[in-house]
Amino acid sequence: MNDSLLGALCLLLTLAGYYLSKRLYLRQQRVWFAPIIMAPTIILLTVVIFQIPLVDYFQFTHWLPALLAPATIAFAVPIYRERLLIKRYPLTISLGVMAGLCLGVGSSWLILHFTNMPSALSRSLIVRSVSTPFAIEATSAFGGIPELTAMLVLVTGIMGMLICEPLFKAAKIQSSLARGISLGASAHGAGAAKANQIGREEGVIASLTMIFTGIAMVITAPLFALLF
Amino acid sequence: MLSPLNTHSAFLKGKITLIVQVSGLCLFAWLCQWAAHSVHSVIPGSVIGLGVLLILLSCQWLPEKVVNQGSAWLIGDLLLFFIPPVVAVTKYKSILENYGAELIMCMLLASTSVLLGTAVIVDKLFKFERKQRLNNISSQRSHLK
Repeated sequence: MNDSLLGALCLLLTLAGYYLSKRLYLRQQRVWFAPIIMAPTIILLTVVIFQIPLVDYFQFTHWLPALLAPATIAFAVPIYRERLLIKRYPLTISLGVMAGLCLGVGSSWLILHFTNMPSALSRSLIVRSVSTPFAIEATSAFGGIPELTAMLVLVTGIMGMLICEPLFKAAKIQSSLARGISLGASAHGAGAAKANQIGREEGVIASLTMIFTGIAMVITAPLFALLF
Repeated sequence: MLSPLNTHSAFLKGKITLIVQVSGLCLFAWLCQWAAHSVHSVIPGSVIGLGVLLILLSCQWLPEKVVNQGSAWLIGDLLLFFIPPVVAVTKYKSILENYGAELIMCMLLASTSVLLGTAVIVDKLFKFERKQRLNNISSQRSHLK
């Protein structure tokens, strides 16, 4: 097959896989249909099964990750819109963000030092709990690989979605602020989506926390990197 | 009632607005990245751009409606933009096959501790901050009396 044709088909596959799973999830709210699980699975499986060369896959899809930078900037709008909520609980939100960030980096530090995983893999783990555009910016400071980071961020999001409810129940976490902040700080976008299902305030708080944790990660990455 | 023609043109107008706003944000992002690169900034251009846009919005120099739709689309479809890097992970297939199980266990433990730790800390902080706020309000009220 012609390379450009294959490239164009790959772009079509990516767009169709993503938008179809999004539509399916809107109709049937089952966790396995969530775009974060279904879309990458379909696309990854197709690429592996048909042995599509990565060069061809990236021929037209490489501009999609280029939209991560404008998406980062776009996060200014929700911060601006929810400024009143931020003013109401400044201490809880800022300390919550710091706690989430330190626990995230700290737990990765432990993994790095007490397992024998290759360092490219474990270093890509460090930024896994923040939203992708921030994670990809920050990972190079720790010597992580952007592609591995993107996958680990995805898996972290899915885990957060799946484990949060039993954990909240076991630890008797009831306040919307605690649920929202912990989901946003530990499971970024997927956590925020899950928080939105729990309640509106949880959702807004989780999105804000996700953004603040991402910004804080990017800014503090060079400092944290000195520890590693 | 809207005629089909009207709804159609409203749909088209919405799409055009979206494309213009997203293009505007892309151009702004590119400018910020170029600026950050040329001054060798430690903070990446996209985060500087976020700060600049927030200042523009807060000072009312830029109305929210100019970036509203574009930002909603970029944030709402964020997942789409990082599917290609995830596909690129096939390059590291052998690492993942060898360390996959260990990796999942470690991540599960780490995610549990981050989620639980943050939730417990915030729960305590929230109760403290709410008490402070209520105290402030009641002392203001008694002051007014």
